[in-house]
Amino acid sequence: MAIAPSPPLEATPVRKTRRIGLTLLIACLLLFGLDALLFRTHMYSSILEPDSSAGLLELILWREKRAQHTAGDNLVVTLGNSRMGYVPKVVDLRPRQTGYVVRTAGVAGSDPRAWYYMLRDLDPTARRYRAIVFGIDDYDDEDEAFHPDDDIRALHYCIARLRLGDAIEFAQSFHSREIQWEAFRGAVLKGIALQSDLQAFLSHPLKRIAYIRLCHQGWPDWTYNYVETSRNMAGLQIDWSTLTAMYPPGMTQEQKDTVRGWLLHEPNPQTGRLAHFLRTWLGRIAGRYRESRTKIIFVRLPRGPIPRPDYLVKKRSSSIRELASRPNVILVDEQFFDCLEHPELFKDALHLNRDGVERFSTMLADEVARVLGPPGERAAR
Amino acid sequence: MLFNTAHFFLFLAVVLALFYSSPRALRKYILLAASYFFYGSWNYRFIPLLLTLTAIDYTAGRWLEKVSPGPRRKAVLILSLCANLGFLGFFKFYNFLGSNLAWVLDKPADAFFLNIVLPLGISFHTFQSMSYVVDVYRGEQQAVRNPIDYALFICFFPQLVAGPIVRARNFFHDFFHWQPPSSEDVSRGVLLIGLGLTKKMAFADQFAKVANDYFKNVSGNPGWLTAWSGVVAFGMQIYFDFSGYTDMAIGMAKLLGFHFPVNFRRPYLAESITDFWRRWHISLSTWLRDYLYISLGGNRHGRWMTYRNLMLTMLLGGLWHGASWNFVIWGGYHGALLSLERFLRGERPVREGWNWLFPLKAILTFALVIIGWVFFRAADLPQSLQVLRAMFGGKPGHLLLANWHIELIVIALVLALAQEKLDWFERLLKAPMLAYASALALMFLCIEVFGVIDASIPFVYFQF
Repeated sequence: MAIAPSPPLEATPVRKTRRIGLTLLIACLLLFGLDALLFRTHMYSSILEPDSSAGLLELILWREKRAQHTAGDNLVVTLGNSRMGYVPKVVDLRPRQTGYVVRTAGVAGSDPRAWYYMLRDLDPTARRYRAIVFGIDDYDDEDEAFHPDDDIRALHYCIARLRLGDAIEFAQSFHSREIQWEAFRGAVLKGIALQSDLQAFLSHPLKRIAYIRLCHQGWPDWTYNYVETSRNMAGLQIDWSTLTAMYPPGMTQEQKDTVRGWLLHEPNPQTGRLAHFLRTWLGRIAGRYRESRTKIIFVRLPRGPIPRPDYLVKKRSSSIRELASRPNVILVDEQFFDCLEHPELFKDALHLNRDGVERFSTMLADEVARVLGPPGERAAR
Repeated sequence: MLFNTAHFFLFLAVVLALFYSSPRALRKYILLAASYFFYGSWNYRFIPLLLTLTAIDYTAGRWLEKVSPGPRRKAVLILSLCANLGFLGFFKFYNFLGSNLAWVLDKPADAFFLNIVLPLGISFHTFQSMSYVVDVYRGEQQAVRNPIDYALFICFFPQLVAGPIVRARNFFHDFFHWQPPSSEDVSRGVLLIGLGLTKKMAFADQFAKVANDYFKNVSGNPGWLTAWSGVVAFGMQIYFDFSGYTDMAIGMAKLLGFHFPVNFRRPYLAESITDFWRRWHISLSTWLRDYLYISLGGNRHGRWMTYRNLMLTMLLGGLWHGASWNFVIWGGYHGALLSLERFLRGERPVREGWNWLFPLKAILTFALVIIGWVFFRAADLPQSLQVLRAMFGGKPGHLLLANWHIELIVIALVLALAQEKLDWFERLLKAPMLAYASALALMFLCIEVFGVIDASIPFVYFQF
């Protein structure tokens, strides 16, 4: 008598659960693998939109890494946001050289959190530079309506620099839960943060690649030879008692908006958030260079065409001055650039114009050279 | 609690854990409690309404079984149908009828207006409930003894708010002969949930952004290319949104040991409108066929009665979607197209299989369906006409879809054609674990890079 084959045994519920759990685990691992292959290798960071936050930071990083090969041993780099108007060309063309090569790695819109992650890759050994100069708005901490600790743009600036191990620490550095979550998931799965960039790339891949090639060919020269506008704020008057401004004829709406937003705002409650943020990120940078030959130099940037008087708000702390007690940290005299705080030297309420930038750059180069002392022997090639 | 939120997945995980860790006798209570919790998380004030409808149709079913055939039996059926349609009519159509009555009586448009909040999914669970009563009346379904069982049939959370409309005999077959899901069921369920989520987040919501922008400002977006791209975007949105929801619903049901019917079969590959309705929202179209079209006489009384029945069925099908003339016109438009096809085809059966004319027919059908979506999506009749005018005249305007949107459409088309010819979905279920996991990983990657993650775009059919 033939024996009929028995039907295949159905897995027990526990085995089924294990199996599907294992499958989901493999799927998640593959997802991380694909994400890493695309976004954690050079593959995608090399095709980032050059005009995006992430692309701009990457382009500056690329330019400055290249410059490290030819700039000799007495290399200084400046970091800051768009207000840090240092122009190497102005200094290079001066007849009297300081002996230092000063480069700028500042990124418009960036903050100390982004500088930390940028520097980590720009200077992996923490020994490449003789000094790193940070342009700071104020040595005292003033909380304003905009809180940089909750600025999710930092994720987009740093996205290509973030490592998987940074995810928790990076996310926790934000203030609100929602932003923390957004930062965490973006740091873990970079594709989420790079969605818009990728979608734009998929729409016009050839155009993007051609633009990147063009940027790689010409961008160092374009930025080196960039000439700032000569537009100025001459004639601007501010009544600090009423927080109102008298604008001279011909001032653009954009200029007026910066005056309103940057200078004429009501004081905000001083919560200490900015101090915490600066202590954290500038502290981490200072900590990285504690036993290095690299000096950390802070300068207070010219505050504006007409600086806000100190009596408007009682500032409770000075995280920058606290940092000065650390080894290797130097503070340039707070008032050093006060002579540039004139409406004629600003193009709007935040940024220096051509004359302002030229004066700032030479003053900065000279002051850095003075602070650092005579350069070492290995000059630039 | 939208299906594509972390909250919902947490809820699902808890339900699955409780369901499988409890003794069998308790499981239906767990599902019932979870379903009411799910419904209550939207608006708990409508739970009594759901309970009332459940009680009415449960009682009607029991009565129908006791009462012998005759006028009394018919009266019970009519009472039940009136109660269902009465609730549906009041919540869904009161203001529509009121505004039309006001227009007829030359009164202000809001003369009879009541501020009514539409209970979520009322159209779906009412139809599901009605079909049960009709089936019991017809003797095709035994009345359910236990009210808990019946309540679960009505409010089972995977399909409560937007279907698929499940027939009582299918649901209770699974319910009374419940078997733990097989390994294949579990694999299928997980894959369907993944696929549905991808359809919703990576496709539907991206197209929704384009469509919403267009329909929010039709006047500001002139040109035929602009209009067509806006309407195509909506066509993509509604397909991916609704079929994505359905995939997830079917997948969840599979994980709980229930087998829901297929609701979509690549409708945009249809080569005629008749074929389209065999592929689109199948649970509704078969419901309309079985309980309306056939009850009206179907195609048994000659050509003109067939056309009439098709028109009536589609008009009511349109009205089922919502209380506005736009839905009536949309239904009428499809009814007219079905009748026209029937007229041209005569008594020949609908062609199955592809031939060399397929691409042409599919494109024509797609275009006709897209034109129909104008009425479905536009805010009102004047806006529908404005969009139609823009689609068929004037300057080209600009394309609202970016190249990557078009690439998404091409990917979807290739996958749909591959499914039609190669049935990759079934092959994937039988493939080694690594291939299956890779498919899931690709879906997750698609959500990662294309998914609309921060904006919460509700499922289109939740409004019905």
